[in-house]
Amino acid sequence: MRVAIAEDSVLLREGLARLLGDAGLEVVAQCGDADELMLKVDSHGPDVAVVDIRLPPTHTDEGLRAALELRARHPDMGVLVLSQYVELGLAMKLLAESADGVGYLLKDRIGDVREFVGAIRRVAAGGSALDPIIVSTLLDRRRSDDPLADLTPREREVLELMATGSSNQGIADALVITLRAVEKYVSSVFAKLGLPSTGSESRRVLAVLLFLRS
Amino acid sequence: MAASAVPWSAHTGATRAPPGPVLWAMAVAGLVAAACSFALAVSSDHVPEPAELQALLMGWITLPYVLGGLIAWRRRPDSRFGPLMVAAGFVAFAGTLAWANTALPFTIGQAFDLLPAVLFLHVFLAFPSGRLESRAERALVGAGYFTAVGLELAGMALGGFGPDNLLAVADEPGAAESLLRGQLVALSVFSLAGVVLLVARRRRAGRPLRRSAVLLIDGFAIALVMIAALFLSAAFEASGFETIRRITFVVIGLAPAAFLVGLLHARLARSAVGELMVELRAEPAPAELPDALARALRDPSLTLAYWLPEFERWADLQGRPVELPRPEAGRATATLVDRDGAHVAALLHDRSLDDEPELLDAVSAAAGIALENGRLQAELRGRLEELRGSRGRVIEAGQKERQRLERDLHDGAQQRLIALSLELGVLEARLGSDPDATARLHRARAEIALSLEELRGVARGLHPAVVSGHGLGVALESLAAGAPIPVELTVRLRGRVEEQLEVAAYYVVCESLANIGKHAEASSATVDVARTNGVLVVEIVDNGVGGADSERGSGLRGLADRVEALGGRLRVWTPLGGGTRVRADLPCA
Repeated sequence: MRVAIAEDSVLLREGLARLLGDAGLEVVAQCGDADELMLKVDSHGPDVAVVDIRLPPTHTDEGLRAALELRARHPDMGVLVLSQYVELGLAMKLLAESADGVGYLLKDRIGDVREFVGAIRRVAAGGSALDPIIVSTLLDRRRSDDPLADLTPREREVLELMATGSSNQGIADALVITLRAVEKYVSSVFAKLGLPSTGSESRRVLAVLLFLRS
Repeated sequence: MAASAVPWSAHTGATRAPPGPVLWAMAVAGLVAAACSFALAVSSDHVPEPAELQALLMGWITLPYVLGGLIAWRRRPDSRFGPLMVAAGFVAFAGTLAWANTALPFTIGQAFDLLPAVLFLHVFLAFPSGRLESRAERALVGAGYFTAVGLELAGMALGGFGPDNLLAVADEPGAAESLLRGQLVALSVFSLAGVVLLVARRRRAGRPLRRSAVLLIDGFAIALVMIAALFLSAAFEASGFETIRRITFVVIGLAPAAFLVGLLHARLARSAVGELMVELRAEPAPAELPDALARALRDPSLTLAYWLPEFERWADLQGRPVELPRPEAGRATATLVDRDGAHVAALLHDRSLDDEPELLDAVSAAAGIALENGRLQAELRGRLEELRGSRGRVIEAGQKERQRLERDLHDGAQQRLIALSLELGVLEARLGSDPDATARLHRARAEIALSLEELRGVARGLHPAVVSGHGLGVALESLAAGAPIPVELTVRLRGRVEEQLEVAAYYVVCESLANIGKHAEASSATVDVARTNGVLVVEIVDNGVGGADSERGSGLRGLADRVEALGGRLRVWTPLGGGTRVRADLPCA
């Protein structure tokens, strides 16, 4: 799997490259800003780009704009955005069209190598990765008529993992239950929330997200 | 205050008028000249009949100029307008010497025959300062003098104007006649050009002129048109010449009459001062003072400026800087009102009011205390303006500093901790076989994660970077989602607004939602952000218990400071049992 990295801190950029290299990924491009990223993605054609949301020159939204442009120009490539703060509004912007091949994680998550590399692989394969903070913000959101009240605690856990982009197998591993059980919970969650349960795992991320946000 | 000797004074020019006896002597000389020209007309053998009418008409256009000029001279000694009028009157008298039956006076009178017309042009164009202010005016009047005197003498040298002409050196009456016709046509053209200049000046003035000045300038223009008509009819020997001449004389005489009426009006205006005193006794608000003064001075263009010694500049009632008009420029001029040697205010008025220094004095004195009140108000507003500016700068500097700290934290400590966490993660992966080491590394990473979370909180408290980076709409999503009660968020913004405003709006929403969580006992709230007509309106409404203590949380005071420093307004409605509404209006470009 081929990865491009855009991160302006040299320390972090090289650390990330080493970490991903150790995990068996091939880092084909290390970039310090958005323009360099665009050029190198065009020439190396990576499977996934890991992009810091704050990039030079103004350190405001260059990274986000680069990520959105990459998603438009290379729909088959995964884009994982890293940030020191996660914002629901930004998640909604990134996932506006679809949750296919897109991720948005807090930068802190790179310390958990296994989870982080798992998220990169998932995004590269067209899946999604949404930071648990965003999902919990949405789940904890107060509602006047709360549809989540009907969920059992287990179903709530499944919903939370589903919303972060976990596959059924990932949910099964995380909760130490069988794949069959996961599928059962998923369909009962969808039924209780009144959502159509068809579609890929990333499509259900968007469905759940939009449902929770409304 | 009224008891002190001469506390109030209005400055006018320093030049003194000629002493009274001199002016009186000139007036008597004018009357004598009028009597002489009447006698000349009656005894003349070449004045068109009826001679008495001619003499009376001549007196009508000459005496008012002499007398009006003397009055103007006394009232406005620093203006050349008065002397100029007097000169025009006497030169017109000199012209009547041409009525004499003997050669010498006839010759002198004939030499001055056309000069009065140019002098009238000069007087009209020089109103009210007595000076020709533009190059065009000076050129026009200069050409007029040359045509009226220079060419007249040339015509006389050529032998025109009959046997009594002592200046004849040649005998070419035909040539002299042609020359005279040329002079008359040229002077007509000059007069009409004068009308154009007067109209242009009136257009340029822009501000409403005083009514008497408007009347006067219209009178001047009509007189010039009549002079042109008279000379053209003389040049081409039109049949109605005598009639045109009579009408012209009547009109020319009306101009100084209008001027005198204006002066008389000034006398009547004293009663306006009395009315002003009555009005001022009711202690009008300083904002109403200019209207009252404008009525008393009959100058709708009047405005006031106040002196702010602290800032050493003039300002309007709002404390905004005002430039006084330069002397000799445009129609507006300033009369300074002083008290105890210090400036208090300046009346910015039409220049023609300078003719009535007594009226200005009386009005300034009557309005003294009211003007002082106005000045104090202007000073207060000026200080407020200054204070608002400095508060804005303090808050802006604070915000810049916090933004810088947030940046330092982001690029420094936070980045290093993340790198450290990453390093530990790599180690943990490599040390997979040793459970004790793995557990320790895991704990260390958890510690770092906690530190990062705390730092994120600190950084966000310093400056909401998401607002600067991604705009208000994006930033408010998380705030609304994270609120302790259901919040309906509506953001109607196209594009970004100024960062300062976005940050202020963000804090207004942030603080209001926090207050709702703490005090309101509300079950839901709405947040509306919209930009309409150059104002960013942020409104937070809850359905809680209301009746909030307006001092609840120093947060609201801080918010109000922040909003007001940006020229905005923060209002809170919180009726008991009726929920709470917080609204910030922030002006934006």
